[in-house]
Amino acid sequence: MDWLFEFIQSWFSELMGLVSQGSKRIFFGYMLSATLIAVVWLMWQRQLNCLAAFRWLFQGKIWWSSSSQSDYTIMLLNQPIMLLLSPILLSKLALATTLFYALNDWVSRPLWFSDIPVFWVSVIFTSCLFVVDDASRYYLHRLMHRWPVLWAFHRVHHTAESLTPFTVLRTHPMEGLLFGLRSVLVQGFLISVFVFVFADRVTLLSLLGANVFNAVLNLLGSNLRHSPVPISYGKVIEGWLISPAQHQIHHSQARQHWDKNFGAFIALWDRLGNTLEYGSNSQELTYGLLGQKPKEHQLVTLYWQPFTSSWRYFWRSKGKLISTNNKTHVTSESQ
Amino acid sequence: MNKTLLSIVVATSLTLTGQAHAGAHVEVYADFPITVKNYTGSKTHSEAYTGQIARHTLHNSVKKLVSKGASLEQTKAYFNGKETGRVIVDPVSKDEFAVLQTHVDKISTGKNLSGKAYKGLISGMPGGLTGAELLDLMLEKAAATEKGFDPLTGYDYTQLISKFTMGAVFYNQAVDNYLDEKLAADVNPNSKAYKEGKAYTGKEHIWDEAFGYFGAPAHTMKLTAAQVYGIAKQKADSFAKADYNNDGKVSLVTEMAFAHAYYAASFDKGGKTNYLHTIVQAFLDGRNLISSANGEALTDAQRSKLMSYAQVIKTQWQRLIAEAVFKYAGSVYGDIEKLEAAIEANGNAVKLYRNYAKHWGELKGFALALESGGVNLGETGVKLNRLIGYSPVLLGNTQVAALVDGEFVQSSSVSLSEYRVQMIKLQKLMIDDFEVEARNKNVTANLAQLVDSLGEAMAAEND
Repeated sequence: MDWLFEFIQSWFSELMGLVSQGSKRIFFGYMLSATLIAVVWLMWQRQLNCLAAFRWLFQGKIWWSSSSQSDYTIMLLNQPIMLLLSPILLSKLALATTLFYALNDWVSRPLWFSDIPVFWVSVIFTSCLFVVDDASRYYLHRLMHRWPVLWAFHRVHHTAESLTPFTVLRTHPMEGLLFGLRSVLVQGFLISVFVFVFADRVTLLSLLGANVFNAVLNLLGSNLRHSPVPISYGKVIEGWLISPAQHQIHHSQARQHWDKNFGAFIALWDRLGNTLEYGSNSQELTYGLLGQKPKEHQLVTLYWQPFTSSWRYFWRSKGKLISTNNKTHVTSESQ
Repeated sequence: MNKTLLSIVVATSLTLTGQAHAGAHVEVYADFPITVKNYTGSKTHSEAYTGQIARHTLHNSVKKLVSKGASLEQTKAYFNGKETGRVIVDPVSKDEFAVLQTHVDKISTGKNLSGKAYKGLISGMPGGLTGAELLDLMLEKAAATEKGFDPLTGYDYTQLISKFTMGAVFYNQAVDNYLDEKLAADVNPNSKAYKEGKAYTGKEHIWDEAFGYFGAPAHTMKLTAAQVYGIAKQKADSFAKADYNNDGKVSLVTEMAFAHAYYAASFDKGGKTNYLHTIVQAFLDGRNLISSANGEALTDAQRSKLMSYAQVIKTQWQRLIAEAVFKYAGSVYGDIEKLEAAIEANGNAVKLYRNYAKHWGELKGFALALESGGVNLGETGVKLNRLIGYSPVLLGNTQVAALVDGEFVQSSSVSLSEYRVQMIKLQKLMIDDFEVEARNKNVTANLAQLVDSLGEAMAAEND
């Protein structure tokens, strides 16, 4: 029984970590700053008083909808599932170490880099990590929409009909694994290259235990991307940074919004990939998938159906991965 | 209390005492009972390893003498000689760390190091020399340098002689002799005194001698690794922990830490390994087992158990030497990085070169020690020697390649930068082939730190 006790303890600790660690998106500090930003924005843009802004922000029909309730359930259940799945994933350290050895075998280290001061080495490393990490997120996210085999899992996230910051955790564990693998590959590669070039002079510029860029952007309200508050940055900034309104467009049911704004923080990738759509402070959108039925929020549908859908597609298409006619934003029944 | 009750209590107490003694968990390597049949001498306990401790003081003294630029005659008096009256040069009393013995003879007479040095071939250095011949050559060369350092070859003889002596004498004698062939049933049997009139049996004494060579204080199991480390360093705040019998002085025989026990403690205090206590516990378990035979020949089962304790000691001892190779490979890597930066910036590299040579000497000394354990390292040994080479790579990209007419001859080698990379490979070799875990001076440590700072855990978060 000791293992069960330890497992439950780890589960609880992981759940607590979601709100107590600055590396997590729903860290309470980020939630607090997002709330403040949202209230101020509602008072400014919608001319609401403070109390009304709070009431609008925390309206029960959003936070306690069947969609949100399934978000909370997924959040609770995904923690132990990810605990069990984590050991099968390639270790970031193992990859970084292997690549580091390989680099030493293949390439001779350029010495002129040793003139760069330690602080600037850290700035370059932290920036590279942020940019490459974000680019890889964009690309994987795009694949999630383009490959029906992957879409079967990613659509779980898109069946959310009301958006709250907890919707960020409405993710199928298989997608969690893929994003975990992406993180291992990107970070393992960059760490090995930087340590190869700069040896022990590399450090991460961090804030609240996270990459300083991620932490700052999270403090500036990135959690509002999954919220009913359509904050737009205006066209100039939205060409560079994804605003909450832009990500809400990504979740829109409207056909013209399908497969737009895949980016996490940086909008440049969407510009380069012709998938950028600007947001608006006054936009009113319907979230979820066309033809979606209430059973989409049931646990069996959320966890099991992606496997059957993915397999069915894979079988029908004889292993062909890329869909030529993009119909991803409809329910599997409609495909 | 009536007589019947009293007799029950006494009988029960005696029974319990007897049981406790037979199965006692002895924590100190001391006061083992005399089990030799018909012993008539005055000794009250059977453990004896003063000869080994005398050699530890000889080794420490030789190291100190070489580093101070002593003559060959002076160093040989300790390394090869057996004369009486030799003063212990190290360790000596310091402020707040008084040492009991001041002369080697006070510990044991007629001892030297050369007589016990490994007679097998050492392939990690040129010339096809045995361990003993190589140590002799190094002593001669050291005497011709200033304070044991030869800048032309990069040889720091103080380190080379010290670390290789620890391997070629202490490690070799313990794991290749006492814990190996001398554990055979017909060698030094437990049913006879080691020598006529001695208070210990054959097997008791060979086990004690192996323990003595390890260099751990008898009361190690009552100390932490950090405390044993502090004792070897003769730190004032470690004195009370060292002086187990509270006589105001540290006995070099029973209370001091030497050689590999010191290195085991230095790795263990990092918290990742437990070489020191694992090895000492195996020595205690083995010694208790021998004592429990009560002067009879060991049964096959007892000898088999004893061999299993010996195997634990051998494995852990070899691994801790590999830890030292790992550590100094990391130091050499760091030294080369600093040298490269200094050369690039046209800076002063003299002190950096000296540090490089010192760490290389330690690295090579421990690597040669690995060859002295009576185990054929096979491909691992070949890789080890090729990666380190016969000398550090010098600033003009040359390296010692041969020993001709008693002189080390250099030829062109890999670049300093390539040699630095070889240190990474060497650390990997120690991980892959010896499973080192303490991994001090790990050149990939920054990889782990960065992974830690980013988090290894996987989260099911979306975009």
